[in-house]
Amino acid sequence: MTEIIVNSESRVFRDSLLKNHGAERLMLCYQCGSCTNDCPVARRIQEFRPRNIARLAMYGQKERLFSKDLLWLCAGCYTCYERCPQQVHVSEIISALRQAAFLEGKIHVTIKNIVSSLPLHGYIMEIGEFENELRQDDGLPPAPEPSLSEISTIMTRTGILARVGGG
Amino acid sequence: MKYAFFVGCTTLGRLPGYEKATRKLCERLGVELIDMLGSSCCGTTYMESLDEVTALSLAARNICIAEEMGLNILTICNGCTETLTKANATLKQDQKQLDEVNKILKEIGREFRGTIEVKHLIRALKEDYGLDKLEKAVTNPYKNLRVATHYGCHLLRPSDVMRFDDPNTPTSMDNIIEATGAISVPYPEKMECCGGPIMGIREDVTWSIGLDKINTVKKHAETLITSCPFCYLTYERAQLMKENKPDLPIIHLPQLLGISLGLSGEDVGLSHNKIDSEFLKTKQGA
Repeated sequence: MTEIIVNSESRVFRDSLLKNHGAERLMLCYQCGSCTNDCPVARRIQEFRPRNIARLAMYGQKERLFSKDLLWLCAGCYTCYERCPQQVHVSEIISALRQAAFLEGKIHVTIKNIVSSLPLHGYIMEIGEFENELRQDDGLPPAPEPSLSEISTIMTRTGILARVGGG
Repeated sequence: MKYAFFVGCTTLGRLPGYEKATRKLCERLGVELIDMLGSSCCGTTYMESLDEVTALSLAARNICIAEEMGLNILTICNGCTETLTKANATLKQDQKQLDEVNKILKEIGREFRGTIEVKHLIRALKEDYGLDKLEKAVTNPYKNLRVATHYGCHLLRPSDVMRFDDPNTPTSMDNIIEATGAISVPYPEKMECCGGPIMGIREDVTWSIGLDKINTVKKHAETLITSCPFCYLTYERAQLMKENKPDLPIIHLPQLLGISLGLSGEDVGLSHNKIDSEFLKTKQGA
């Protein structure tokens, strides 16, 4: 196991995480492992251990948390959220960590593509003429035409569009 | 009963059978569904883990459309249900977040007012339509049909946000299904996630999670009933990709309900199901 090194940088990172909505209770984690026990991903991926993610977060180990695809392997099923006896909610810790990673420009390409699709199509994929013709065959009305300008305005205003490289 | 119908990207673009079955079912039950002009993606369940204000604003924009219609939203995707419910609850409770989101919405001429509710079809049937009434509407009850229910994650979890049914031992979907005469069987790991959200990240893990449930369900039931387009696609694709003979039909809840209410296979879009589900039409009692 790699040694955990605590320094001023790791403390600053940890403290910034604690301010994130939903991650406030991180330091109450007593490493019981209920989260990992019932995690569908942990059962299949050795490196993905919600308990260990909480531990690394408590020690502000940013580099290890941001390495490879670790943070993006969470399926967001909230099973750990329901199980945690301390209401630490590792799923929310992971969400806070993803936000922090994304602030440094780190985001999984699949998720980046989904986000980039929204101002272009209004949906996570293109729903255009082809799809609407198929819909018509089933007697379905055309898909609602999303107001793309409204979506772009929101995403420009919050800055997310520039951050995924779409604006 | 009347709702603003929020179909959701995946169903709109990929699952016409699911949407058709929902519309026909509601028509048969006398539930009016009004399309939400200008609505878009809910914001995706991923968005809150990237940027909370964006997630809240995109969801709120859709909610505003329903508010302007003066109607509660009806959803048929667990992901949309969670995203919209969470934004609705947060903005109704948190003045600071509301101010920030409304400042953004003002630029597009909208305002979140907090006047409506978001309900998944299951919740609407249970809370608004009523199980007794549903049971009375069943004209062609199933006989000896053993089904497994898959609630999925976001219909119930996170439970302090969703505030519906029990996150560990839910009954709402099973009760609805039993109103049709079908038997909802208990099975191990019933509440496990389908694995769909990481399909684009670690596909092998998604298929592994999906097939484990498929193989378990095969021992107990003839079909797996879903209430979410992502779960449906995951269980369908896992079999199509990985099995020589995909043979566990995955059926959308409104398809199962529709047939028991006398709708035809075509009405509920049964031919769209890639794993042959036609057997459903032969499971009625005399």
